Amino acid sequence: MKNILTILFVQFLIFQGLSQITGTVIDEQKLPMIGVSVSKAGTTLGTITDTNGAFSIAANKGDVLVFKFIGYKTIEFPLNGENKINIEMAISSVMMEDVVVMGYSKKTRTEISSAVTVLDERKLNDAPANDVATLLQGKISGVQVVNSSGEPGSGAEIRIRGVSTIKPGNAEPLYVVDGIIGGSFDPSDVESITVLKDAGATGMYGARANKGVIVVTTKKAKSNKPKFEFKTSYGYNTPDHGNVKMMNSAEFFNDFSAELYRDYETHQIDKIKFYKDYPQDLLQKDYSWVGEIFKPVPIQKYYLSTSGRTKKFGYYISGTYYDEKGTYRSTGFKKINLRVNTDLQLNSRVSLKNNINISGSKGSSYDYLDMYYSYLGVPWDNPYNEDGTPKYVDAKNKKWWSRDHINPIHSIDNSDYNYKGVGIDYDMVFNLKILEWLSFSSSNRLSFNTDKGHRFVSPIAAGTYHDKGFVSENQNIWYGAISTNLLRFDKSFGNHSFDGLLGTEVDQGYTEDLALEGKGLPEGFSVPTVASSEFKISGSHDKELFRSFISQVNYNFDHKYFLTASYRVDVTSNFPSGNRTAHFPSISASWMLNKMSFMSNISSINLLKLRSSFGITGDPDIGASRFLGLYSLNTQYNSHPSATPYQLANPDLTWEKTYQYNIGFDLGLFKDRVNLTLDLYDNVTKDLIVLVSQPLSQGFEYRWENSGAVTNKGIELALSTLNIKTKNFSWSTDFNFAKNKNKLSGIAKPFYTTISGISQIYRNGNEIYTFVLPKWLGVDKETGGPLWEKIEKDGEGNIISRSPTTNYSEAEPQEVGKALPDFTGGFSSTLQYKNFTLFANLAFQYGNDIYNFTRVFMDNDGHEPYYNNMKPKSSWSRWEKPGDNATHPSMQQNALSKEPSSRYLEDGSFVKLRTVSLSYSLPQRWIKSINIQNLSVGLGATNLYTYTQFWGQDPEVTLKQQAWSMPGVSDFKYPNNRQFLFNVNIKF
Amino acid sequence: MKNKIYIITILVGGLLFHSCSDMDVFPADQLTTGSISNSSDGILNVTNGNYALLKDGAEFNGIVDDNNCYLRQYFQMSDFAADDIVCGQKTEDPLYYSFTYTHSPNQSNSRFFWYISYKIINGANTVIQYLESKGNLSDEESNILGENYFLRAFVEFNLVKFYAFPYNQGDPNSNLGIILRTSTSEKAEKARATVQETYDQILQDAMQSTELMNKSRGKEFASKEAAWALLSRVYLYMEDYNKSIEYADKVIDSGRFTLETSESYPSYFANALSRSETIWAVAFTPSDNRGKFGSIASMIYSDGNSGWGEEFATYKYLNLINTYPEDIRTAYIDTVFKEPSIVQKKNGLEMFFITKFSFQGGDPNLSSPVMFRLSEMYLNKAEAYAHQNNESLALENVNIIRENRGLDGHLFDNVPNGKTILSVVLDERRAELAFEGHRYFDLTRNKIDIDRTYWGYHIKGLTIGTIDLATKPSGYDNLIIKFDDKEKLYYIPIDEMIANNLCVQN
Repeated sequence: MKNILTILFVQFLIFQGLSQITGTVIDEQKLPMIGVSVSKAGTTLGTITDTNGAFSIAANKGDVLVFKFIGYKTIEFPLNGENKINIEMAISSVMMEDVVVMGYSKKTRTEISSAVTVLDERKLNDAPANDVATLLQGKISGVQVVNSSGEPGSGAEIRIRGVSTIKPGNAEPLYVVDGIIGGSFDPSDVESITVLKDAGATGMYGARANKGVIVVTTKKAKSNKPKFEFKTSYGYNTPDHGNVKMMNSAEFFNDFSAELYRDYETHQIDKIKFYKDYPQDLLQKDYSWVGEIFKPVPIQKYYLSTSGRTKKFGYYISGTYYDEKGTYRSTGFKKINLRVNTDLQLNSRVSLKNNINISGSKGSSYDYLDMYYSYLGVPWDNPYNEDGTPKYVDAKNKKWWSRDHINPIHSIDNSDYNYKGVGIDYDMVFNLKILEWLSFSSSNRLSFNTDKGHRFVSPIAAGTYHDKGFVSENQNIWYGAISTNLLRFDKSFGNHSFDGLLGTEVDQGYTEDLALEGKGLPEGFSVPTVASSEFKISGSHDKELFRSFISQVNYNFDHKYFLTASYRVDVTSNFPSGNRTAHFPSISASWMLNKMSFMSNISSINLLKLRSSFGITGDPDIGASRFLGLYSLNTQYNSHPSATPYQLANPDLTWEKTYQYNIGFDLGLFKDRVNLTLDLYDNVTKDLIVLVSQPLSQGFEYRWENSGAVTNKGIELALSTLNIKTKNFSWSTDFNFAKNKNKLSGIAKPFYTTISGISQIYRNGNEIYTFVLPKWLGVDKETGGPLWEKIEKDGEGNIISRSPTTNYSEAEPQEVGKALPDFTGGFSSTLQYKNFTLFANLAFQYGNDIYNFTRVFMDNDGHEPYYNNMKPKSSWSRWEKPGDNATHPSMQQNALSKEPSSRYLEDGSFVKLRTVSLSYSLPQRWIKSINIQNLSVGLGATNLYTYTQFWGQDPEVTLKQQAWSMPGVSDFKYPNNRQFLFNVNIKF
Repeated sequence: MKNKIYIITILVGGLLFHSCSDMDVFPADQLTTGSISNSSDGILNVTNGNYALLKDGAEFNGIVDDNNCYLRQYFQMSDFAADDIVCGQKTEDPLYYSFTYTHSPNQSNSRFFWYISYKIINGANTVIQYLESKGNLSDEESNILGENYFLRAFVEFNLVKFYAFPYNQGDPNSNLGIILRTSTSEKAEKARATVQETYDQILQDAMQSTELMNKSRGKEFASKEAAWALLSRVYLYMEDYNKSIEYADKVIDSGRFTLETSESYPSYFANALSRSETIWAVAFTPSDNRGKFGSIASMIYSDGNSGWGEEFATYKYLNLINTYPEDIRTAYIDTVFKEPSIVQKKNGLEMFFITKFSFQGGDPNLSSPVMFRLSEMYLNKAEAYAHQNNESLALENVNIIRENRGLDGHLFDNVPNGKTILSVVLDERRAELAFEGHRYFDLTRNKIDIDRTYWGYHIKGLTIGTIDLATKPSGYDNLIIKFDDKEKLYYIPIDEMIANNLCVQN
């Protein structure tokens, strides 16, 4: 069918235009413009300019010729009998006319009827980063960014408009790079980022758009003159431990250890016993484990690019080098990224874009337990021998205080957790202008990624691999191809303008993993070959296939009324054959009120647009084969292949679908001095894919099922204002705010997730990630023991009474908090005085709770006497004698005080000063003589200060739901970084 | 030029629009329900998988926690709740709740144990259903079918021991047992059977397996004799002493097993798979080494690095085996000395490591745990005769063990003063079968309270400053656990309670 269509269009190509009117179109730099659409107003006749910018069209005197090119102001030229005309087109300068890249299409701001936010390069790159997500924090309303780890090379987590899925695994938005789903890039190469938030915009991505879409556009040549740009940031990272400050020797001795000897009857410290077990000369020793293991380290980023354009050929070539040492001993990350973007105009109808991105990275990671022991080491243990080498200790070492007799410095120095990765993306986009109003485009990408991890523990390291050593290597390759083939049209009839697209997409990805490990290494060697025992291998192959049909129509009347409708069909291999196909329609409309005659008198309003959209999107991210009954062959019994029951079948499994409504307006005042955008949305995700708990006595924990719905309702506000603008001074601010309310419904039976005894409940009427824990009622004044709340219920389940209990098992878990914030937002301010620019950005969130799991160890009640503790919050106190109004129980009453309860649930709200930077552009007269266009130098700092009540490492706590991680639970993590930087930027 | 481009367009477009390849994707490392019976070895793979589940750490709650392993939980949930092992360190590991009797439906070791038990039952049911419906079984298939009946019985029996009152306490016809699953196509929700019904099912499965298994695949697999040994054990718990003796004798008379001697006993547990005393042991190969974080040994032994070494043998147990210096069973206690003759302390307690689960191939964390061995058969008989007040036969069987444990000079001619025949037998069982998952059930089955009047962190809220090894602890509320205390039962896991409305909690 499609073949026939294609042939038909080729037939159309054989057409003629009588050359009555000829001419050329040039741009502001007097260069010919290729592919400008030239048409006769009110007719279907038209043409495009050739590679010399020339055109010819049959027209009569009195006709109006319309010249259109995206990103340029449209020109309407009435003919007064000329035969030859020359047109100069200007780049549209009004902000609202900026071109917004929407993924499959580009639109001007006025044409957009949906909720999208654009960040350009200047607002994005305010700090060196290897991951773009972290740069979005606090900058876009409705986009929550969590920097949950400070490990070099780690990325941030993004949630757009709340969380719409409760299945474990990927909850990150879809990335679209240069118009093609997926892809990779370095943040330095980004020209703009468009965040698509409502179905009016994301509907085009149908099945994969539930979690929002981030459209990334990389740079390309802008001017004909070859340009070079060099940017560097150099500085250092220091660890940000938040409110965690570990006790020193005296504090650990007097404030913690002595409490273990408080006599149960006299309520005095039994000093004789205490000093017998803890000699006072311990106070002579004071080693800071955290101080030894975390150090300030350098970070550097270099970026060099060149770009230029000739008549037919444009190029952008860049290289980036990023080198971040980790504040944690022996960690770090390096990355090189190369990008070549070219566009080639073969003739007036055919153009070809080739983009290549190659990146290589390597880094050194760490072991969770080493991190854990690094905080918990007792200050009386000297990490080093007299000769300065790390001390070896094991359980036989009698003079070591820290629990488990591990010296993490010795472990770190005798182990290696490194990884390497290479990624290549090649994009080829072919465009053919078939008719003046019709074109064909084929966008194709081949991707290849490989990662390799290496874990090595030397046989001389203390711990589980002592005398044996351990090595494991794992390699993963992923390769895929995606091809999108679209027919695009763009046609006007008088005041009626239509454009749109129609086509198909094929996407397939293949994953192959291989892992091996062995023990029995000779000292000094770390490659798998030398391992001599306990070999293990594993590996698997996987694939995922998508087929899609895509269509969209945009209509506008007189640039006042806009309508967009799209329809997408997706087919995926992840579902049983009957449920593989899903349909995703969307529609959006907008009304430019300021263009209406009744508003023409209100001169202060330069823009007022009302927008509304509805659409359906989906989420198929559950991996392959989740609907089959399976027996896993991943084990052996005495070296015989063995299969164990793995998965219950569900032949009815189907997509998660979100029904999204959005309404909003854009307001521009005083010639865009003030811009306000407000959106209200209501998104209902139905058929949630849920791991429905099964009676364990079936032999299975869960079955993948569709059950229930989650609603995300919210309001988003963004306000940009140019507050002061004088010749030498300007001040602008950006403020954004988003409130989201999450609610579950239609779930057949409440279910729980539990990690380390901490539970979250999923039930109708609740938010997802709601903590359900015994309620902590503090400390019994008389006995010093912990109290929880006991609830008495009558036969119908109504609560009759609530009373304190000393019996933990009587305290029924209650809903006591939630991991998702009520609102998030950010604020940026730019002050400019002459050549100085001062920029600051802060991000905030409010209303979420964090389960501070690290306090079980670092703020313990004596159940772990050989772990160091953190300095307590000023409002905390430990019970000493009857009558004390204390927050912490007596150490003699610690039996169950650490058990999961609301005791460790803390307010996770914060305000964070993300970046502050000061830059200075050297005056033109100084640099012009050395042929430099622009040279600026600056100082910057990131993550300078966090205001929070949370008494832990950092209130930015993961929202990932996966192995070992529960949303809103703070476990020992790699601390975030505080950066201080020196920046140079040269353009020439 | 132009034409070429158009042709390419057509070709590219045409190819892409039509490349709708097959959308069926099957996993590369898993059998589907259909392919089990279609492949030549699918049934064998699933059977071997049922054994593998006894030793593996399967994913549970979205994670593979090294702590979780059927056998590790089996030994810890039983022996840590008894009086042979003392807790030397408070811990976040749920094994702590067995020491303190602060059980809850949430504790992950019990939840995992329950889960894997039923996963094995599901695997067994898959094989049983297929082979029963197939008919005309070859010898190999018949043996496989028998192994699966055996595994189902074994797993059911271990479940009912933890989650229900002993058979001989209260009324087994009204006490609740476990949920019996005998088919993979049952409804998800199902009520618990009574203790009587549970034991009936266990006996039926075990009997059936003895008839089907006619050739042993090796000591790492179930066999006719293993099924007899199971029946002897089950009948002992049911107080059907004649049957218990009968099946013990079947094993003894099979002639396939001989007792370890006092010379060979010290190296027995590290080499159990190749020793003649073993009836059935679960094979751990070097690649099954669960290391510091998950081996059975790592909590009770450490060479300094290999384990946590946080639990020790109790004084009560040490006093028993130290009665005579010749007792070879002391070989499995490794005392840590600070200086010659001064025992090293940890958290205020003296360190006596246990090595019954170590040193296969020299590795401190590796062993192939013995599920049934010949000694138990003699001791089952001894206990059965003791209950039947047949002192001489009871002592005869006790003496058979003692002769082979270095105590030939200290055999019993009659019951010593101040002792009963039952206490003599139970002491011998304790000395011989310690740490192998028997002690807790031996006490409760014989209606004896669990007396833990010794210092250790089973005492709630104990801090190091309070321990005084020269005295006995007193005034603490959980030193003695009554044999019929309902608190000692493990709770039905929360996961079962939430998803199965028909299931009643303990």
